[in-house]
Amino acid sequence: MAVNWAQVLFNSAVTGSIYLLGAVGLSITYGLSGFPNFAHAELITLGAFIGYFVAEQLGLGLPAALIVAFLVTGGVGFLCYRGIFQPLAKRGATIIHLMVASIALGFILRHSIGAVWSWKPLYFTTAWSAFDVGQVRVTGLWLWLIFVAVTLAFIMHLILTRTKIGKAIRATSSNPELALASGINIDRVIWITWFIGAGLAAIAGIFRASDTQIWPMTGWDIILPIFAVVILGGIGNYYGAVAAAFIIGLAENVGVVILVALGLSSTYRIGIAFMILIITLIVKPQGLAMLFRRA
Amino acid sequence: MLLYGLDFLVFVGIFGIVALSLNLEFGFAGIANFGKVAFFLIGAYTYALLSKIGIPFSLCLIAGALTSALFGLLISLPALRLRTDYLAIAILAFGEILRLIVKSESWIAGGDWGISVAPAISTAGASHHVGVLVNIGLVYFCLLICFVIAQLLANSPYGRVVRAIREDEIAAEALGKDRAKYKAQILMIGSAMVGVAGGLYAQYLHYVLPSMFMPMVTFTVWIMVLLGGPGNNWGALLGAGLVELFKYGTNLAKDYLNLPVDPINLQYILFGVLIILVLFYRPQGLLKESPIKTKALELARYGKGVVNNKPSK
Repeated sequence: MAVNWAQVLFNSAVTGSIYLLGAVGLSITYGLSGFPNFAHAELITLGAFIGYFVAEQLGLGLPAALIVAFLVTGGVGFLCYRGIFQPLAKRGATIIHLMVASIALGFILRHSIGAVWSWKPLYFTTAWSAFDVGQVRVTGLWLWLIFVAVTLAFIMHLILTRTKIGKAIRATSSNPELALASGINIDRVIWITWFIGAGLAAIAGIFRASDTQIWPMTGWDIILPIFAVVILGGIGNYYGAVAAAFIIGLAENVGVVILVALGLSSTYRIGIAFMILIITLIVKPQGLAMLFRRA
Repeated sequence: MLLYGLDFLVFVGIFGIVALSLNLEFGFAGIANFGKVAFFLIGAYTYALLSKIGIPFSLCLIAGALTSALFGLLISLPALRLRTDYLAIAILAFGEILRLIVKSESWIAGGDWGISVAPAISTAGASHHVGVLVNIGLVYFCLLICFVIAQLLANSPYGRVVRAIREDEIAAEALGKDRAKYKAQILMIGSAMVGVAGGLYAQYLHYVLPSMFMPMVTFTVWIMVLLGGPGNNWGALLGAGLVELFKYGTNLAKDYLNLPVDPINLQYILFGVLIILVLFYRPQGLLKESPIKTKALELARYGKGVVNNKPSK
């Protein structure tokens, strides 16, 4: 069977872009707050539904949906940290308690979404024209996705390296005590990262939902590869997460080709991310972090 | 209504076993097992597949426990060297992958549609009540065994080592206790218990489906343990009873109340709120961690008068 490798590469970029947007926020908040926020999956879902509400139910189109979902979900992410995780941590909750709380929060969000929008899968109705570039079949949505992901990744890079708040984020991430002693308002830094992280998750959710379907499990469906990206990239490491997103995107798409060749179900593509996750944890728990300066 | 109450008791028994095992792992050993449902699934599917080829139910239950324990050991090999949070992510992922496998490989057990399971003790001909009563007997017999094991473990020198590892891994290692070995053993014992519970669950419901083993099951059990009191076996049972009562209560309420919200969504939302409230206001749970009971301690506490009356020379 001839495999269209150009298409596989392009698909990897598409998958990687979604994982990038979905994972960056989780990675940075994990690094700063010291626990994995399992409710990140539900922030992705929430973003997708807010996008759906704006784009489909209000009919305002995709760009407006992206902006509104970014802001609203970012606000929800901030409130989750400010209202639940921060007070819990101040009361001396252990990491296990924080993880359980994040899962509980996930259930609250997921089922609230289910109560508002029902559990029936919904679809974005915008029709994207597909066209061929050489041998590669692309759609407008995918080009948009890659454009948005790359632009946002670049903006994040600029924020982290060129602005005061970016430097504060990096400082807090590498040494919170020293950052505090240098007069950085750590709380504010963490709030901002929760806001941005949740906002980016919302954008991942909208693109994922436009590409497939939207239902209360939209975020949970991709939580495994997203965790794989976070771990492979090194927790809290921005550049590691960017690289890992595309590596896992590539591994999944090449993996699907191999699975099909072996006659296995392509639903196992999520198993590939799982393998990478486990192998990274066993062999090199710090992930790709050693390749990049800490950010 | 009576049937409803009996049904409730069976579920309390089954989830009581699961809660006891999570209490061993989290309450005593401090292992964040976020993939409890994986071992529940292994027990249930082992039972279902073996009973299909005519193996008696007691052997099916034991086989479920052993298979589950084996997987517990396998996952513990790489997992226990990991940090708490890595372990949680890895086991959670393991559960999801396992569910994915039984879902997509329909040759194992019917894939998405699942397979039917014969009840452990056939009560054909008798009324449904008798069947449920027989199940209560069976489930509570298993629960009693698990409870005795859990209590013995908790109060033994072994249990004290496990608690010491939970409190301070480095100090325990410095005293020559191999934390990976102890945690692996606890994970095996815990998984074996859940394996039995999975088998009981499968035979009581008469079928197994991949959708019965969603991550929600794991977190229902976490609520039980956190609510009842981690590190206290009675607390785990109390938590199991309360959470099941809450479930049955909301299920009953939906028949009588006309809620604007889908009761299933409401139930999960309330579960989430409940966990967060417990973590905020009562992180030690309803019952406090049970103090260690040993002969020496008892003598020190209650035998003081006797000791003091003896001439001290």
